[in-house]
Formats: sequence, C-alpha cells, structure tokens
Amino acid sequence: MNSLDPPLLDELRAILGIEAIVSRATELKVYECDGWTVEKSSPDILLMPRSTAELSAVMAALDRRAIAYVPRGAGTGLSGGCLPLNAPAMICTSKMNRIVEIDYDNRRVEVESGVVNLHVTNAVKARGYFYAPDPSSQVACTIGGNIAENSGGPHTLKYGVTTNHVLGLEVVLPDGEIVELGGPTEERCGYDLVGAVVGAEGTTGIVTRATLRLMREPENHRTLLASFPDVDSATRAVSLIIASGILPGALEMMDQLITRAVEDAFHVGLPADAGAVLIIELDGLEAGLTASADAVATMAQSCGASAVKLARDEAERALLWKARKRAFGAVGRLAPNYATQDGVVPRTCLPQILRVISEVSRRYDLRIGNVFHAGDGNLHPIILYDERVPGQVRRAIDAGRDILKACIEMGGSLTGEHGIGVEKIGEMPLLFSPDDLRVMTELRHVFDPKGRSNPGKVIPEPGACVEVAAPRRQVPI
Amino acid sequence: MADETHSSELAKRIGPQLGADRMRNPTALEANAARVIFEPASVDEICEVVRMCETDRITLAPIGAARTLSQIRRSPVAVGISLKRLSRIVAYEPDDMTVVAEAGLTVSDFNAIAAASRQRLPVDPPNPQVTTLGSLIGASHAGPLRLSEGTARDLLIGIRFVGHGGRVIHGGGRVVKNVAGYDLMKVMGGAFGTLGIITEATFKVRPIPPQYRLAILPYERAADAFGAASALNFALPMSHVEILSPSLGARLDAPNKFLLMTGFSGTSLEIGYQAEKIRELLGDAGEILDVQPSRERYEMLRDFDWTAMPLAAQIATRPAGLERALNACGVEFRAHAGSGVAQMFVGTTPTTSDARKIVARWREIAHAERGHLRVLAAADVVRNDLEMFDQPNEGALRLMRRLKSTFDPASIFNPACFVAGI
Repeated sequence: MNSLDPPLLDELRAILGIEAIVSRATELKVYECDGWTVEKSSPDILLMPRSTAELSAVMAALDRRAIAYVPRGAGTGLSGGCLPLNAPAMICTSKMNRIVEIDYDNRRVEVESGVVNLHVTNAVKARGYFYAPDPSSQVACTIGGNIAENSGGPHTLKYGVTTNHVLGLEVVLPDGEIVELGGPTEERCGYDLVGAVVGAEGTTGIVTRATLRLMREPENHRTLLASFPDVDSATRAVSLIIASGILPGALEMMDQLITRAVEDAFHVGLPADAGAVLIIELDGLEAGLTASADAVATMAQSCGASAVKLARDEAERALLWKARKRAFGAVGRLAPNYATQDGVVPRTCLPQILRVISEVSRRYDLRIGNVFHAGDGNLHPIILYDERVPGQVRRAIDAGRDILKACIEMGGSLTGEHGIGVEKIGEMPLLFSPDDLRVMTELRHVFDPKGRSNPGKVIPEPGACVEVAAPRRQVPI
Repeated sequence: MADETHSSELAKRIGPQLGADRMRNPTALEANAARVIFEPASVDEICEVVRMCETDRITLAPIGAARTLSQIRRSPVAVGISLKRLSRIVAYEPDDMTVVAEAGLTVSDFNAIAAASRQRLPVDPPNPQVTTLGSLIGASHAGPLRLSEGTARDLLIGIRFVGHGGRVIHGGGRVVKNVAGYDLMKVMGGAFGTLGIITEATFKVRPIPPQYRLAILPYERAADAFGAASALNFALPMSHVEILSPSLGARLDAPNKFLLMTGFSGTSLEIGYQAEKIRELLGDAGEILDVQPSRERYEMLRDFDWTAMPLAAQIATRPAGLERALNACGVEFRAHAGSGVAQMFVGTTPTTSDARKIVARWREIAHAERGHLRVLAAADVVRNDLEMFDQPNEGALRLMRRLKSTFDPASIFNPACFVAGI
C-alpha cells in the first residue's frame, strides 16, 4: 500500500464502496500472476468496478495522482499480460458481466467486457448462432481479456481470431475519458481504432463494452480422430488436407505425451499408443460433408494413419473437444509446473519445428509435449519442469526461448494467440526493428501518452534490461 | 501555386539523383490527384523522396490507379507516388496459403498466378485488373464476396510501409496467426494514404471453391428482395447476396426490377443441394445460371464503376436497417445485403447546392440507422463543396487527430482529404 495515500483510498472507497476493493496482502496473493506462473508480483490494491462510470472515475482518480494500473479479466492469460509491473493498482473487469443486447437480425451482440467468452455462445446457441473465437480457457476467460490478447482458439482456422469479430468498443482511456470506437456497422468511419485496440494487451486503456459479430451455426459437422505412428506422418496429413482445398473448421494435433496425459485424466478413448493424433472437424452443408470426411480419411490413411474414427454423435464430438481443450489441465498431472509456448511457423515448416522441439527437449533434459493448432501452424509446446529442483526454471525459460528463436528463423512469430506480455518482451527485437518498435510505441502513446496503462508490457523499453529472469521473480530459479 | 512550384523543383532534384525516368506528367485522371507522378524503382527511392518532401513540406500521396483519389481530393497533392514498378510477388507459398507481394501488384495479376494452385485473394473490388494491393488496403475496397470471405482487413497479415522520416516500418508477419506487437495492418488499412506509403503486403489466400453459380431473382418491391435476401442468408452459407435497383438491373440485360443476385459455391453435391433449397425458399420466379453465364454476370455485378457517376456514395448501416435507409434515400443502388453496405448514386449532375443537400440528407438517414456515409465520387463542379467522409464522434476524432500528427508530423501524407480534414 506504499504508493497509495489515504486520501486516494478514501476517494476510491467513495467511488466503489469497500466491497469492490481488495487491499489485504493475503487476499491480493490470488492476483499475483495469470497462467504465466514463472513470474509473480502482487498489486498493492485491486479495484473491481461494476460499471463504465465507476471504472472511469477510478481511472481519473489514479491519473490525477500519476498512478499506473494493470487491467485484468479472469487472469487466464498465458504470457503474464496482467502481471503488475510498476503498476500499484489492478483494475478487474469481472464484475462488469452483463450481456447488454442480443440483436439476431443484425447478428450482433453487445456485451460488457467482463462477460465470460462461453457465456456469449451459450446465450445465442438456441437460435443457431455462435461467437467464433473459442480459446481453450473459454469457460473462464472474459471477452475483455480476449480483446486485449486478440485471442484465437481451435476454430479460428476457418473463422478468424477476435479482431475479425469485434465491430465496436467502448474504451476508457487512461485519463478516465470514455470513448466510443467503431460501431455496429462493418465499414468504419475514419481510422480503424478498434483494430488498434484489439491485441494491444491492455496498453491503450480498458475496454468496457464490445459489439461482437455472431456467426450462424453451420448446418452440420463431422469430427474425425485420426491416429498416426508419429508426428511427421500427422503433419504430412495436415499439409495434404489443406492443399486439397478443403478448409476444416479446426485441425488440431496432440503428440503422444499429451494424448496419454489426456487419456489418463479424462478417459475419452484416445489411442494411448499413437505417436500423434489429429482432431479434424469439418463443418458446412450436410450435402457435402460425407464426401469431404471420406476424402480427409483417405488422405490421413495415405499418410500412414493407423485408424480414423468418426465421432458418431454430438456427445462423442463434445468429448473429443473436451479432451482437446483440457489438455493443459491434464498436463498438470505430469509435472508440478509447466510453461506453455505459443510460437507460429508457416504450416509447411511444421515437421522441421517439431524436430527442433525434440532436440531442445533432449538438450535441456526437460519433457516437452505438443498440443497445437496444426492448420494454423500455431504451436503450443508444453515444457514440463519442477520449480523446486534447482536450475529447472532457468532451463525451462531457455528451452522456450530456443524454440521461439527457431520459429522466427523459419519465418514465423513469437506468439499466435497468447500475446507478448512479459514472457516474450525480450524477444520482440528478434522480430521487429528498432524503427518498428519506435512506431509501435508512438501508436501506444496516441492512447496513453503518460504510459499509465499496463506499463512494461509488449514493447521493451529502450535500454532496459530485457532479461526475463528479473529480480521480480518470487519463485526459485 | 506553391505546390506547383514545389512539384517542379522536386522533379528537378529527383531527376539527377534517381534518374529522369522516375518522374512523369500525370494522365488526365491522375491530374485531379497529383501534379507530378513519381514512379520509384525501389523502396529506398520512396524513403529518399519522403525525406525530401518532409524537409520542404511538399505534399505527396500513393496514387494507385488514381480512381479513388481523383474523386475525393479537392486539390491535387504535389507528388503522386505510383508503385507501378514495385509490383513483384516476393513470396507465394501455396501450401502455406500466404502471399507476400509489393503494393503495386494488382489483385487480378496475383489471382491469375494463384489460380494455378486453385487459390485466390478473395477480395473483389470493381475492376480488380487496375486495383493495386496498396489501394485495396488503403482505400478499403471490397465487393460482393465480403459476405463470405471478409475484406482486406480480415486477410491482411503483414504490412510494410514508408512512414515519416523516410523510415521503413513493418508490422505483422508471414504467418496466418500472429499477435506479436501492435496491429499496424489495421492502422494503415482504410487510412487513405494519410499515414504513410504502403510498399508491401502479406495476405492469407483462400481455396477457389470447386464450383460457383449465380441465381438472379426479380422483385417488384425492394422490401421483397431484401426479405428474400435475409431468408437465404439465414438458411445457407451464401457466397454473396446482392440487390440491384431497377436501372442497374437493366444494365445487366435483366428485367427492369429489383434484382436479387446471389452466388453460391461448393462441390457439385453442395451446388445441387443449395439450388434446390433456393427454389424451395424463393419459388420458381428467377433463374439459376450455368457455370459460364454465372461467371460473366458476376463480373458485371462486381465491376459497376461508381467513379463515372456524377454523385455516388457508400452507405454503411446495420444489415437489417439497410433497406429502410436506401428506401428513404430513394436512389439507385447496389446493396451488399448481408453486410449492411451499399453504393448509391444519382445519374445526373446536381447543382452545387443540391449536391450538398443530397449528401446531407443521405447522411441524416445513415445516422438514423446508426450508420455513416462516404462520398465515392463527385463531378468536378460539385466536389469542392462536399465533405467526402462522415465525421466520427468527438472522442474518436481526437484520437484520430493524435494518430495523424504522430505518424505524419510534417502533414505531408495526402493531407486534407480524410475525415474531418485530416
């Protein structure tokens, strides 16, 4: 509480009431990290506004005293995006969780930013609609967090990521000003500021409301589970399917380590002896699906698939997706700690990068599992470690960095959907020139000239130490 | 006058430095947009010219085929930059379904190459044979396929541009999924050249569907055509759902009625199923064309040339409000029915004060539907009195002005052409 003087606390209490403020160190410990657990740091105070007006008043009060803040949704992020760094206040949007208006005629839904991702689809599915971005954490993560991170998910191969589905935003700027960006129309009036805010990782203010696009449910699905002897043959099948002109709704791969962990945890009938499995979901008109599914099965077999199983009904399909989306949870049984990476490579480089990952695993003597969006070339190597063993955290960080460097060398990227946060900030100069980074900083300052919104994220500060293993770490190295 | 002097002085300086062939006089169309045309042979040359222009406060703009700028600029900039010589494909990987290309490449030229891999960049502005990738992005051109394939905004995954100080800036990358760094693709998209000169773009490409067919259905009343469009759009994943007002329909040798022109695609099984479903939903009134006529009529539908109109505008509303808005405007139109976007026009040149009144009325109607309206083309005699772009709300506009002054501190990139005089 050192930076928060009593008059400010009085003001914040007057705005929010004491029930929406957490300031005891023991309670704040819950907010010391998100899904990136390698680094931890508690905020001095947690503020939970219930409305745009409250949030704006809170931000204006902080601005008057030059206090920086970190925004937080549900804290399910995987890159440390809501880790407090030189930001004493944390502002959490989870109490702003109303679905404001569902407009089926225009296929739009207006929500407050604390609404949970899956709740949007749940609210509209009876009428045959869905909200497309479906990150694995969708039962918990918020739309505001999705917007900050430009989240994806398995079905983004066909349907696009968050930025493709956000039309309008209400944003509170760091000085407390409320602005409306974009709107309910598909064309924009002036610069595409919505596009600039989505994926800015909470550095351009706090989103309080969003107008999202709803999609019509496809007529039907076919979900296939194909088992392969090894990841190489599975990746060959991925290339063949994409090259054939069939665009699956989702095309996901799990290697043996993950498949076994998932099967042990959830008993969904995954083949534990397979070297890799693909979950291939085709969607569209019923009239074409059987032929497409047959074609995909034939292609998988021609690449060496030992079995291709079609989900017989919605229950089986749901089970497969449950297995896929809970893969990260299942991995928790294999090791006390894990770090998930989010590198991307051109799809054709998948076999190469998977070889690099197994070399890295050997070199650092750490087990690494792979569960990823194969159709997008978006990898999620899961590096298993034990923070109690001296040196393992360091090795896990270095192994992750080696994998990301290899992704970049292959023409890929540091992150496909998890964001830069603090985790990959040190690697940004590998991807962008000093001029690129300078222009991005200039863009950030358009929204946040004083640098109060989520400082220390996305862009490394010139001259600052970019070493991830910084003194803020509370876990042993 | 000052700009004219600047143009000739710059031409004199650039000649010896970069080669005399880099500068030329504008064509008649280009003359509305720029006083001289600079055709760089490399990105370095653009950087050089941007630095010179910044030092001397000489205005410049990327010009593409000049169809957009010639219609919306009140007075020409000193230097128009044509990327005719920067039109190479840098990397096209069919198996990755991505293409990196220089911004002077036209949509058609790329698609002709991608067709061999049964792929395309599925953005279909009018006359893609003259639409460069730079203008596709900068001027947010799109067409009927926006309903099913999205627009350049959805497909652009990487960008390179020359910004202030003559710096080459890049954002995004070459992979289809990427959230590293700020989204400069969105910032440059639809900015009409006011923030810098786009030199290179990376797009996701899509498979060409095995078959495409076009159904044309005539209606006496606009409301019936929009009702049918909405029923189709609900029932089937249509490639496009367009509605033409009667006089435009007549140009396609079709009945002088409101025409619903809807495309669908897929395998022959899917085509058969959709054709049947369309008949079931809409009856036997219209016709479903064969493969070749489908293609020909689709191209006519795509290629309506709004720049030839004395006064043309694009309205954007919520999709369900589009028919109401067009009806209230009482004009001829081509509507992207499922997207809430339409182009509309008057066929005879209005007087200056009439043009102002017409645009003001259209805007009022658009605003009533929570939408906005942008003038696409205006005859020379009325252009100077029209606001081409609608005005964003105050808060957004303040941010936009800050963005402009940050990215273009010398105010040289296509100034006084965009929203609110930006």
